[in-house]
Amino acid sequence: MGRGAMCALSVAVCLFVCAFAAFAQGERGAITGAVTDQDGAVVSGVQIQAVDVKTGTIYKTASSATGDYTLGGLPAGTYELSTPVLGFRYRQQNVVVQAAQTLRIDIQLVDTSLNTLGEDRAFFAAYESPRATPNAATPRAPDGKPDLSGVWSAPRIVDPERPNMLPWAAAVIKEEAENYGKDFPRAHCLPDSVTMLGRFSVNRVVQTPTFMLFLNEQDVPGYRQVFLDGRGHPKDLDPTWTGHSIGKWEGDTLVVDTVGFNNKAPINWLTVGGSTPHTEKLHLITRFRRPDLGHLEMEVTFNDPGTFTKPLKMKAISDLVENDEVQEWICNENNQDLEHLVGK
Amino acid sequence: MKAKMGFLVPVLGLFLSAPVFAHHSFRAEFDSTKPTEFVGTVTKVEWFNPHARFYIDVKDETGRVTNWNFELGSPLALRRQGWRQDSLKVGDQITVECYLAKDGSKMASATKVTLADGRKVFSGSSTDGSPTQ
Repeated sequence: MGRGAMCALSVAVCLFVCAFAAFAQGERGAITGAVTDQDGAVVSGVQIQAVDVKTGTIYKTASSATGDYTLGGLPAGTYELSTPVLGFRYRQQNVVVQAAQTLRIDIQLVDTSLNTLGEDRAFFAAYESPRATPNAATPRAPDGKPDLSGVWSAPRIVDPERPNMLPWAAAVIKEEAENYGKDFPRAHCLPDSVTMLGRFSVNRVVQTPTFMLFLNEQDVPGYRQVFLDGRGHPKDLDPTWTGHSIGKWEGDTLVVDTVGFNNKAPINWLTVGGSTPHTEKLHLITRFRRPDLGHLEMEVTFNDPGTFTKPLKMKAISDLVENDEVQEWICNENNQDLEHLVGK
Repeated sequence: MKAKMGFLVPVLGLFLSAPVFAHHSFRAEFDSTKPTEFVGTVTKVEWFNPHARFYIDVKDETGRVTNWNFELGSPLALRRQGWRQDSLKVGDQITVECYLAKDGSKMASATKVTLADGRKVFSGSSTDGSPTQ
């Protein structure tokens, strides 16, 4: 093949590739709109995600300084649009995006904290924002294992899976939502979650070769303990709010296995949905990694055939907190709200 | 707000997700459709978990005085933003913007507290120009 022919072929291939790419891009759709609060004021910096219902692929963006957002590059399909931000509530299902279509969906957020002083929007947004952390290698314990010890921020949920709930559990969530969660254990100063780290406060991890302790600031009972000495779960466990945990190292990953739950504490790691019920069949597997000095990664598998049609897996990241400590939290000292929680 | 392009998607199913909150659902207790404003004198500040609170005496047009109870975030959250239990003092004359309790009790959730000289208390960081610490 002569040089001219080669050149022509190259140009043809290039044109074909470009045309194909343009065609493929043309097949993509987008969702765009503006984010406002219930008073009509624009809200910037709100994370927005569209989950492809069929594939589970998550597309993310954030609202701009003027409150606008665009989720581009969406394959044609059905999506669930939501704002996985604490303190706000928005979720819309069955959003159908056609090929090459730009949908306009303006999002009006419901401010679930009513911007109460001290726990306003900035307070909740801080939970979803990464903190500045020192840049250094993973610290190691004298036994060579990664040392997970430290004060850690409330876990930021990343890559949330959509739970596939059995009908009874979906009905419980719907009823709780309609009643604004007035009966949630947390409002009664009872345990808030089955997970190791509290969702709303800093936590301290204390690691020894045979035992690990989690101190949870704004939760009850305020601690979780994990046995690393090779013991198994007791055969005659009485079901409890936080269960019984044992752990072992798989390389640099600590795998914690928790069973023995009663059905009272919620699963509050779902970014939208707030709280999810479970049964005594719940089997929790938490995989901890510390990829560097400043971050603690968690992958939690909620295995409960009494609640989910398949195990629910969620990932979260906590940032190292260098200038703060776990503080005292006596929830019952002045819980005046209880008699005034009327719900709807 | 006007749409810039495209069209609104019909809402085929709006999922009522559960509220997310630090201690309890505010909408389970307070009425978001009743933003209200009070002017009065601080009679007490409680710096306890799960919520800090303050109380003010409010005088109506007939001269009758009623004591109102206002909820804030937790002392832990407020302290991390730089506020202290003496940021608001007994005797301070204040204006409070708030949402009233649904059950008709003399309680409300405070969203803005302004001192007589215009300074804001418990809003944002105490180091953002608010001198009350």
